[in-house]
Amino acid sequence: MISVLTIGLVLVTSLAIGLYGVRAARSASDFLVASRRVNPNWNATAIAGEYLSAASVLGLAGLLLKNGLGTMWYAVGFTAGYVAVVALVAGPMRRSGAYTVPDFAEYRLGAPPLRKLCGCVVLVIMLLYLVPQFKGAGVVFALVSGTPYWVGVVLAGLVVSGSIAVGGMRSATYVQAFHYVVKLGFIAVPAVYLVVVAGADTRSEALHPEWGTRFPESTGVEFSVGTRFDLDRPVTVTDSSGAEVRLAAGEHTAEEGTEYVFPAGAPVPHPAGLPDLGGERWSTPLLDTGGHPVFETWSTLLAITFGCMGLPHVIMRFHTSPSARVARRVAVGVIALLGLFYLFPTVYGLLGRVLTPQLVLLRGTDTVAVVLPAQAEPGAVGTLMTALVAAGAFGAFLSTSSGLLLALAGGLSHDLFQGSVPRLRLAVAVGACVAVVLALPAQRIDINVLVLWAFTVAASTFCPLLVLGIWWRGLTLPGAAAGLVVGAVTATGAVGWSILAEVPTWLPGVLLAQPAAWTVPLAFATMAVCSRLARPPEWAEHAVLRLHSP
Amino acid sequence: MSPRREKLTSPQTRVALARGNRPAQHLLPLPEPVDAEAARRLFRRQRRIAIRTVALLSLLLFGMSGAFALLPALGEVRIAELPLSWLLLTVAIYPLLFGLALWHVRAAERAEDRSQAGGPSGGER
Repeated sequence: MISVLTIGLVLVTSLAIGLYGVRAARSASDFLVASRRVNPNWNATAIAGEYLSAASVLGLAGLLLKNGLGTMWYAVGFTAGYVAVVALVAGPMRRSGAYTVPDFAEYRLGAPPLRKLCGCVVLVIMLLYLVPQFKGAGVVFALVSGTPYWVGVVLAGLVVSGSIAVGGMRSATYVQAFHYVVKLGFIAVPAVYLVVVAGADTRSEALHPEWGTRFPESTGVEFSVGTRFDLDRPVTVTDSSGAEVRLAAGEHTAEEGTEYVFPAGAPVPHPAGLPDLGGERWSTPLLDTGGHPVFETWSTLLAITFGCMGLPHVIMRFHTSPSARVARRVAVGVIALLGLFYLFPTVYGLLGRVLTPQLVLLRGTDTVAVVLPAQAEPGAVGTLMTALVAAGAFGAFLSTSSGLLLALAGGLSHDLFQGSVPRLRLAVAVGACVAVVLALPAQRIDINVLVLWAFTVAASTFCPLLVLGIWWRGLTLPGAAAGLVVGAVTATGAVGWSILAEVPTWLPGVLLAQPAAWTVPLAFATMAVCSRLARPPEWAEHAVLRLHSP
Repeated sequence: MSPRREKLTSPQTRVALARGNRPAQHLLPLPEPVDAEAARRLFRRQRRIAIRTVALLSLLLFGMSGAFALLPALGEVRIAELPLSWLLLTVAIYPLLFGLALWHVRAAERAEDRSQAGGPSGGER
């Protein structure tokens, strides 16, 4: 109940700040001038607020609990992405006068059909990024209110479309900045509280995975999906009828709906396909889900670091700075704010292994940050802390998904159809509906797997377009178009295949699940080679030099 | 909601919309750099700085993850109970990323200043 109240408070406060901000800047020129008068510190806070999504607030801790320390490479990649942004695109994009990638393509290559192609890629990236946000909101709603998952997702869709219709969160810098503060505070305070309240023994256990992972207390596990798991040692559990069942060491299959109560101190079984909780693979800080840790880590880093600059809602924010110099400096501020935030998810993942290991069996690790505080301290304070994390996660969902939905709607109405404001509203509603429908079957897919998919597509399409467009005068229309198509098809297809279908055994699965290591170079190469098919127009050099002239 | 809502579009979008389906003849007007050679020099200098930063970034990310793979001992050395490799990945890398970005901005701004001081200024946007 208290969680629902806290979430409501975050929502109402955001709406209030949004309405106030919108009233302060109404007309178009006011809006532009006002937004450029925004203090760079506020601006950086707002950008960080929009960027930190459910993947950061919920997904990192969950994936860390499930797959191990290597997960934190995601957080490093999210931050390193802004270093690439500072080095490669922030200043030139600000000078180009383009708000979106389709705009930039128009500026640099002067071809309307390319604008439409870019618009389609924007749609793909935005949808891939929206679905995990709705999944996160659905999981949190379901958890705090006790409703089924689908109710949570639908409710989240209604809340976001409703709040966009009422206030328009758009570019209300202060709403986004407020959300950063909410997210940081609501993840940092419970984290510090958890570390303090956990006690010295639990803390040591969290830092020594080699001591083994056991159930901290007698724990009931209700398998909502059929699960195969391995036991290292025999365990006697109690089933739902109260009878004792002895599980021998080795592999077992729990049917859907099975309920086992594991006694306190029993070693935690590991589901098939996952690393042994706290084992060698879990505690080595590399991403290792398919047996090729170095390849997987490097490919993921490539996708996230270079995908960041291709995210439409990231690019749009450079225009709230008055000049290219300030845009670059603001991006540096974002790096500091992200680094500060990412210190905390680790705490939940590490303590989660000690206090709530059953989440791994339940396939519900994305909820660990919300579940953990109440589990660690089952009193009023613990409940309050759980409410804070839930509200922080909801703030993450709200700011990121409304930013994404507006970028999506803007893309639909500006780049694909030449639309009006009512059409924009319609596009928001349609976008939210599609994301809700796609999020419904996504309950069992980890948030970060889906977010990584969006980053991979961005890194294989817009990253080469922007980098070559800004730094190479030889980029031409055939090259850009061919590179975009090749990158979009290979990246979307490869990850989609690995999630939705069986990967044939002759193919290393990691090439499909983490394809950035080959799709990004392939897209760059295609753009460079196919650019030779045409001669760059004589104004191409001008267009490039202008991006770098102070 | 009394004041009228206005639709905001970027300068590039306005150019594109105004053109409709006619072929692209004018982009957003390009201010002619007064000294094209100086602009080229600045562009090349900025490109060198950008390549240097991206190279260092790759070295940091790929180097650190490679070190974790090659030197498992990093996980056994502990500082205040925390394994060194965990500490590097979850804490120490962020100040390094921040420092790298800061260094890049300093270098890029110095290059711009020098180019403006060196020749006739290219004018404000």
